[in-house]
Amino acid sequence: MATLYKLAKAQKDEDSDDHEEKKVSKNRQRVLALSSRGVNYRQRHLLNDLRALLPHFKKDSKLDQKCKLGIINELAELNNCNNCIFFEVRKRQDLYMWTSKTPNGPSIKFHVLNIHTMDELKMTGNCLKGSRPILSFDKTFDSEPHWALIKEVFIHIFGVPKSARRIKPFIDHVISFTIADNRIWFRNFQIIEKDPMEPNKKPDDKDLSLVEIGPRFVLNVIRIFEGSFCGATIYANPEFVSPNQVRRNFRMAKVARHQARTMAKEENRRKIADIELSDDFSSDSSD
Amino acid sequence: MIEAPWIETQVITSSEPASIKDINNDIERELAFYKQALEGAIEGRKNVITSGVPFSRPDDYFAEMIKSDVHMTRIRQKLVNEEQSIKASEEARRLRELKKFGKKVQVEKIQERQKKKKEDLEKIKVMKKKRKGIEDTALDDDFEIALEQAAADDRSRKRQNTGKNGKRVSKDTRYGFGGKKRHAKSNTADSSGDLSQFDSTNGKSGWKASMANKKRKFTKKRPGKAKRKSARNKK
Repeated sequence: MATLYKLAKAQKDEDSDDHEEKKVSKNRQRVLALSSRGVNYRQRHLLNDLRALLPHFKKDSKLDQKCKLGIINELAELNNCNNCIFFEVRKRQDLYMWTSKTPNGPSIKFHVLNIHTMDELKMTGNCLKGSRPILSFDKTFDSEPHWALIKEVFIHIFGVPKSARRIKPFIDHVISFTIADNRIWFRNFQIIEKDPMEPNKKPDDKDLSLVEIGPRFVLNVIRIFEGSFCGATIYANPEFVSPNQVRRNFRMAKVARHQARTMAKEENRRKIADIELSDDFSSDSSD
Repeated sequence: MIEAPWIETQVITSSEPASIKDINNDIERELAFYKQALEGAIEGRKNVITSGVPFSRPDDYFAEMIKSDVHMTRIRQKLVNEEQSIKASEEARRLRELKKFGKKVQVEKIQERQKKKKEDLEKIKVMKKKRKGIEDTALDDDFEIALEQAAADDRSRKRQNTGKNGKRVSKDTRYGFGGKKRHAKSNTADSSGDLSQFDSTNGKSGWKASMANKKRKFTKKRPGKAKRKSARNKK
């Protein structure tokens, strides 16, 4: 009898929950996180850190293909994911990060710079594995449409939904995105509530302090596409210089320097030869 | 756009756009990030608490952390090591300073002693000069007494009063008194290193020995030509 009662009660509770759910929309996001082949250890660790940090990330094996990225949409669908983070590695050194809303887009391509992973001993913070972060955005994100779009996509990808599996019920870290130098700077801080001087006091807003957990990296927007890994370009960063170009410029500068030096050397040698020749001539004439 | 209660996304947008003058200035840049994140944390905490969701973790709630205990001990060890190395370097610097200062004091003391000695000698000289004016053989003893008195003015009485007569003292210095008697005649590192009693001919005889002697003579300095000339001119 008791079991019947319990069953009936559970049924009733469920019904009421459903009723509430209809009223408020829920944030349901799942993110497929994968990389292309040829990642180096640092980039791989960065992806692992993000996976550890955000419990709604779903990992997949490395992708072999580099040109036809549309296949990722299918992969995301297979994994029931509506977002995707894809690490594309070129020349085993340049990391490009795609963030995409599969299957219909938009998708954003970033160049990732200055990667520091959580393994570094500089960052002393720690937090629960799978606790939901507070996302802190710079106000500059509201200034221009492409920033606003990026912000929205980041909310979907880095905001851990309440219904995600493996989440912990407390909040102890904050992920911040700041725009500086036309780039997005990613930081992850632990929130420390208690004043270390007075551990028994009830925590107050003024007592909050932050300690960095990591990872940290910088994103430079390259392009925003209308579709997911395809489609027309909505926005292209005019200031972006590809790392290949940067390296080439550096090499060319080096070449120019070297050439100038060799020319000077040659000139010098010729001058000395001339002087010696004229000396010989004058001594011959005096004899 | 996600139109959902705040707690679903937990997004905070900062009130001020980050202003960083020099992007390469690490401290300024990180401080701007920190400020923004802190504002987010404070606002977020308020919102979380108002929406009735627990924010802070109770002390007895243990769960898997994002960094393992092994990693955290490594971090702590690194911090401790850094602190220790700073302390050690500071201590070393302090000792170095102390040593420098100590040496200064020592040098000052020696100089002072030398100065005192010089003054004493000067006094004696002056006394002797005074006496030269009225030199008399009969007054010799008196002169000695006067000298002693002058010296005694400066010296303390205690040092004067050693309790031994002069004859005894001189005999003691000559033949030794007290101290260890064993090994007094055996070689020591100093004595075996002392070559002063050896002949410079180095056991050579005849021509070689004379050459060696000559060489020594030759090394006795003859001033250079210019010097000699100038000396002659002076005359």
